[in-house]
Amino acid sequence: MEFKELVEQTAHLEHLYKVTEDVYRAFQIASEDYNSLHTDVEFARLKGFDECVMYGNILNCFVSHFVGMVMPTKDVMIQTQDIQYHKPVFLNDDILIKAEIEDKSEAVKIINYKLKFYRNNVEKPQLVAKGHVQIGLLTK
Amino acid sequence: MEKIEVLGKMQEIYRDVLDNEEIVLTPETTAEDIEEWDSLTNIQLIVAIEKAFNIRFTSAEILSWKNVGEAVETIINK
Repeated sequence: MEFKELVEQTAHLEHLYKVTEDVYRAFQIASEDYNSLHTDVEFARLKGFDECVMYGNILNCFVSHFVGMVMPTKDVMIQTQDIQYHKPVFLNDDILIKAEIEDKSEAVKIINYKLKFYRNNVEKPQLVAKGHVQIGLLTK
Repeated sequence: MEKIEVLGKMQEIYRDVLDNEEIVLTPETTAEDIEEWDSLTNIQLIVAIEKAFNIRFTSAEILSWKNVGEAVETIINK
């Protein structure tokens, strides 16, 4: 895919994810993070949350899918990524990722996207996290 | 813009992007001289330079540079 095509086709891109039990368990096993905030509901309540807080880095996993599988070409690679967590995410939340192009450079074939993560399973979608991802278009 | 001004602005960009306040650029500086300057940070440098000078490079221009001085020449000629 040509760089210009990728820019045109990904100017606004979104995809819906769900933090299922499988996602939660798979991340827990992969990360070996059994911190009480994520595993002990009583501990989470003592800290002011209604239930166990999901791992923030599950959102990073969703970004991995977003770039690797939602983009209209497989010839892409993540260069840099950052996420700021504004609200906790809980089990069974639907998370809508919206991406908009913030900046690009044809010379080095990269695109910077601004990312917004919304909790979508509530009456009014809530912004739970924001971030950026820079992808490179593989040319060989 | 004079070469020395461009070099000074680039030095600020290199220090910021590579997170190293000790970097001193000269026209002869190459990636061999700066530990943090690798293929990934080179992309971040190009993007930052394009943004700072409000210019766009071509792939051919970037590939032709042998040192910082040649990049400075390209910027001045934009």
